[in-house]
Amino acid sequence: MEVGQIFATILYGTLIGVIYGVATVGLNVIFGVLRIVNVGHGAFIMVGAYTTLVLYGSLGVPPPITIAASILLGAVLGLITYYLVIKHLVDAPELATLIATFAIGILLQETVKAIYGSDTRGFSWNLGFAEVLNVNIVYSRLAAALLGLLLLIALYALIYRTKLGLAMRAVVQDKEGAMVVGINVDRIYALSYTLGIMITVASGSVLAIYLQSGIHPYMGEIYTLKGFVIAVMGGLGSIIGAFVAGVLFGLFENASYLILSQIEGIQPLVLTRSIAFLLLLTILLLKPTGLFRR
Amino acid sequence: MTVIDWFALRTSLKRAAPALALYTILLILYFAVPGKSQLIAQILFYAVLGQAFNIFMGMTGYVDFGYVAFLAAGAYGFSIAILLLSGVGGGWMFIPLGLLIAAIIAASLAGLVGAIALRLRGAYFAIATIGVNEGLRYLVEGLNILGGSIGLYIVKDMKELVGREGYQLAATTLADMLMFLLAGVAVLTTSLILSTRMGFALQAIREDEDAARALGINVTKYKIAAFMISGVLGGALGALNWALKGGVVEPAQVFLILYTVEAIVIVMLGGAGTLLGPIFGALIYIGLNFTSNVYIAPVLESAGIKATGLHLIILAPILLAVIIAAPQGLVGAIRSRAPSRLREIVV
Repeated sequence: MEVGQIFATILYGTLIGVIYGVATVGLNVIFGVLRIVNVGHGAFIMVGAYTTLVLYGSLGVPPPITIAASILLGAVLGLITYYLVIKHLVDAPELATLIATFAIGILLQETVKAIYGSDTRGFSWNLGFAEVLNVNIVYSRLAAALLGLLLLIALYALIYRTKLGLAMRAVVQDKEGAMVVGINVDRIYALSYTLGIMITVASGSVLAIYLQSGIHPYMGEIYTLKGFVIAVMGGLGSIIGAFVAGVLFGLFENASYLILSQIEGIQPLVLTRSIAFLLLLTILLLKPTGLFRR
Repeated sequence: MTVIDWFALRTSLKRAAPALALYTILLILYFAVPGKSQLIAQILFYAVLGQAFNIFMGMTGYVDFGYVAFLAAGAYGFSIAILLLSGVGGGWMFIPLGLLIAAIIAASLAGLVGAIALRLRGAYFAIATIGVNEGLRYLVEGLNILGGSIGLYIVKDMKELVGREGYQLAATTLADMLMFLLAGVAVLTTSLILSTRMGFALQAIREDEDAARALGINVTKYKIAAFMISGVLGGALGALNWALKGGVVEPAQVFLILYTVEAIVIVMLGGAGTLLGPIFGALIYIGLNFTSNVYIAPVLESAGIKATGLHLIILAPILLAVIIAAPQGLVGAIRSRAPSRLREIVV
């Protein structure tokens, strides 16, 4: 291992980690407010990636602008799925919402597959690069991480600096109490769920700008898994936790790739996917409430 | 020490009777209707899948999104037995030995995942299971073990063990008969659980886990037991279906999430937690499948939508509709409306 490899691991681990944070935080918003685990999470990320792929690839819309389109699409998808499905299940047993969100994810995957086929696709948005310590610092990746960070800051501001955010936090703290002081809990549920979906679809665009490849209808599955690892690591429902855990996971993943690639006869890239799962079991075994809570 | 509880045994046999009767009818049809034995075998596969899945999901209210991993574990376990015997000989021993290793691997997997994730509440368990099949699949592929991403081909080894004709029999009629046997075992296991302390404990857990815990029920123990039983049955199903019947165990096939979705759909359609639910669920499912292939697929195709994967694009909305409109499923709905005599039968 040389210095350059280690530098690249830390740099790209951090950058993808920030994006992992954005790609997880929607899961936390929805769980935090509605106590629903969105098992179809990754499919919404995939939809965002396709939005960027199609808008930039076919129509030439600059990728950062496609994020706005993803936010809009997320709002539409969020409202539709909330009022058609989730609303009816808020008080149902946990099993119902788990299966329902799972089914929504599958429906999204199969719809995208029916429209665009199952080929793995990509695009090229080149901003150039700088060379430091023999490592190419790709500007489009820096831009993606920066855009992701902006999304996170916007979400944070919305939740901690606005009246809507205050109402959301009130519902989290005490649902009945919130009702008593005149908060329309049903509307807060709808808005929180939709907000979670919006940021998740947007994160798909950010992810697509970062990766620019590997876009296919089932790409979301691995991000559902990674999202769960990060969400559990940071504490389900915590926004800052998702961000910190996202960066930690990005670093961990890239470091494990670096180490595994030194071993002969195995496939490091494939194995890093298993590592996400093994890490999840380990965290659930040791500290299921998240690493950052007492 | 436990003495055999004859009362529980008798109740459970009585409970199992209608389901066993239905499987017997399927068995008769299997031999009686010429050219349709494979359709019956397909219904049987889905019924057993539902029956095995139901023991955990139906009784605890927990959902395992990685259930297909047990089928895969069984298929690999069975193949491992054959590879062990290959060159050594042992003839027909490969079937019992294969099923034994399949059961051991599936039980270990269930024990491991269960011991970690079943201590926690439903949401965490679901989260833990969503990665099980993918995690294991990439472990097999990434470490290049058990044939890596190519998989294991065991037809040749089975032919060496029992001869060409022996294998022909094993992979067709014998495999289907073992599947019928598995269906019977699954039904009896379910009814036995329902009629004993474990069934009452699981029911209490499903209704209110905190209350069950407060009553002194060891909730984790019962959940893990149900999970392991469900996993072992799933493992046996995977072993019979892919390893024995198919002769091929490919990661891309045996870890396919579709089977988990199908299991959920069948249990939800038929009625979670009921004995007859999975059979009716499988029948409805096969019927829907047939209808969609014959009537809906051509329409979609003419509209320019690729019909591959159509399966899931129809299954998902059906699943959503069932969960919202009829969460009890068919058998559950009958049970809550039917006169009490009938209610006893469909429990």
